[in-house]
Amino acid sequence: MSSRQRVKNALDHKATDVVPIDFGSTGVTGIHVRTVGALRDHYGLEKRPVRVVEACQMLGEVDDELQEIIGLDCLPLFGRWNWFNIDDTRLHEQITPWGQSVLIAEDIDLTTDGRGDVYCHAAGDRSFAPSGKMPAKGFFFDAIERNLEVDDDALDPADNLEEYGPIAEEDLRFFADAAARAAATGKAVVASFGGTGLGDIAFVPGMSLRNPKGIRGIEEWYISTVTRQDYIAEVFDRQIDIAIANYERLWSAIGENVDVVFTCGADFGTQESQFCSVETFNRLWLPHYRRMNDWIHTHTTWKVMKHSCGSIVPLIPSLIEAGFDIINPVQINAAGMDPHWLKDTYGDQVTFWGGGIDTQRVLPFGTSEEVRRHVREQYQTMGAGGGFVFNSVHNIQANVPIENVVAMIETLRSLRAGV
Amino acid sequence: MSTVEMLSEAVQKGRVKDVLTLIEAGLEEGLSAQELLDEGLLKGMSLLGVRFKNNEVFVPEVLLAARALNKGSEALKPRLIEAGVAAKGRAVIGTVKGDLHDIGKNLVKMMLEGSGFEIVDLGVDVSDEAFVAAIQQHRPDVLCLSALLTTTMGQQRSVVEAVTAAGLRDEVKILVGGAPVTQRFCTEIGADGYAPDAASAAELATASLAA
Repeated sequence: MSSRQRVKNALDHKATDVVPIDFGSTGVTGIHVRTVGALRDHYGLEKRPVRVVEACQMLGEVDDELQEIIGLDCLPLFGRWNWFNIDDTRLHEQITPWGQSVLIAEDIDLTTDGRGDVYCHAAGDRSFAPSGKMPAKGFFFDAIERNLEVDDDALDPADNLEEYGPIAEEDLRFFADAAARAAATGKAVVASFGGTGLGDIAFVPGMSLRNPKGIRGIEEWYISTVTRQDYIAEVFDRQIDIAIANYERLWSAIGENVDVVFTCGADFGTQESQFCSVETFNRLWLPHYRRMNDWIHTHTTWKVMKHSCGSIVPLIPSLIEAGFDIINPVQINAAGMDPHWLKDTYGDQVTFWGGGIDTQRVLPFGTSEEVRRHVREQYQTMGAGGGFVFNSVHNIQANVPIENVVAMIETLRSLRAGV
Repeated sequence: MSTVEMLSEAVQKGRVKDVLTLIEAGLEEGLSAQELLDEGLLKGMSLLGVRFKNNEVFVPEVLLAARALNKGSEALKPRLIEAGVAAKGRAVIGTVKGDLHDIGKNLVKMMLEGSGFEIVDLGVDVSDEAFVAAIQQHRPDVLCLSALLTTTMGQQRSVVEAVTAAGLRDEVKILVGGAPVTQRFCTEIGADGYAPDAASAAELATASLAA
């Protein structure tokens, strides 16, 4: 069975020969560049700078050699412009604050300032204040909030839409060429076209913009989901209009060379609860998601992935009603997110892409034996009858002991060999 | 409904204008600043905290209520100072070095304010030295440390060690929280308390004053 068929079967809730695995197909299912480097060292692969494929979170490229070793079934389709609106095809070698040699977009300078911090500027334009900061002792960038004052009389939804617009012809060709190359490998292709993270808090501050306008403060945004619902609904509505117009062109340029579209990373869960009530979700988000997903399902063969960290149990029926095929990262250690219950209750209605290994305790702080036991249990619980793609709960971070990542990989290899 | 009850209600609904109007009305009725603070503003925040813990309201509602609480507290401040009303306790709070996340930290700060604490907020990405210096300067009853990431929660241990090394460990209760933090981790690093959510953190801080 080809990797692509394996993933397709899993998404159709049909039996697969082995459970499909993903590491690296999106910005929420990847591996930190430091850990990618450590994995390459562990497996005795050639010493070389690891390419950073998602600069904000400093995710490393899970290259062909690691793909082969881990037995991965999915490939990413990223655009040419990264989250800082910097060209990700022109690379230079840089040394990270933790002393690793990496390949990263030319307009990102990893030199630390006097305090050990690294800053990144939207579009690489240093004539404006930085839009991202990687603090000393940190391993990735976070957006810097700018322009926090909101004048309600002057608020215009267009200000919160500046970063969204029609895909340029050359970017469309870039996507089409890259998708064709990825599809030719026989793996499932997961596209991140961007533009549909409705209120994804990582993007609210506008790290791709030189001088963001509108509501750009994180707290102000959350408060606005209560106090300025009409404004937010208008932003979401126009965002989906733009996205559907882009999807029409993307579908005609790419077609079935893409299998899955990762659409939205807006988190609705905290460790203990949700960020909003079911009623608010159904009023403010569901109709827009539904319109996007209905268009995709009516006009394409793509399956749609939604990411949300945290405890989201009360919202899962709404996510299904909104038409999402796939839920990620399945944070199994958040309140109520019991994998057995999730699988029994929703396993035939939605695919769980993630939840293969807990990343808050077991992977970073457990023993290798715990990792092996946990992976085996998750693989068997979640994998039964399809509807599961093995992935960790969100990206594997920089501080994870490499022996634990190796224990996970070796356990997966044993399970797939029927041992 | 009495004025203080309406004030409590207005805080819970995050209605700044109503809060300010009701404070004015209460003062005109002859209510003391302390009554308006305790029975109106703080009670409102405390009731909201319970509803937050019970998943009846969520982060945006708490953020909104905290704004109303702050505006109300500002309006009452001159009268409280005049009347010699002291805060219940003092807390220094911050997100540890290497971590820029502050929603959780701010929620705890708001709930502590709602419980009558005076807060010194050091912000995010706070070094061990800055925490130690703040303890020396402000002599807080509690030190609250936040970390969202598995890569930064280890810094909480480092702060506990720095506070101990500075000879200040017995002078302050150290409370820890953040998504990956657990009671087990709290015990392991020698902190005094862990809370899984902001409302519980405020209860824990209040309880630690009596300990």
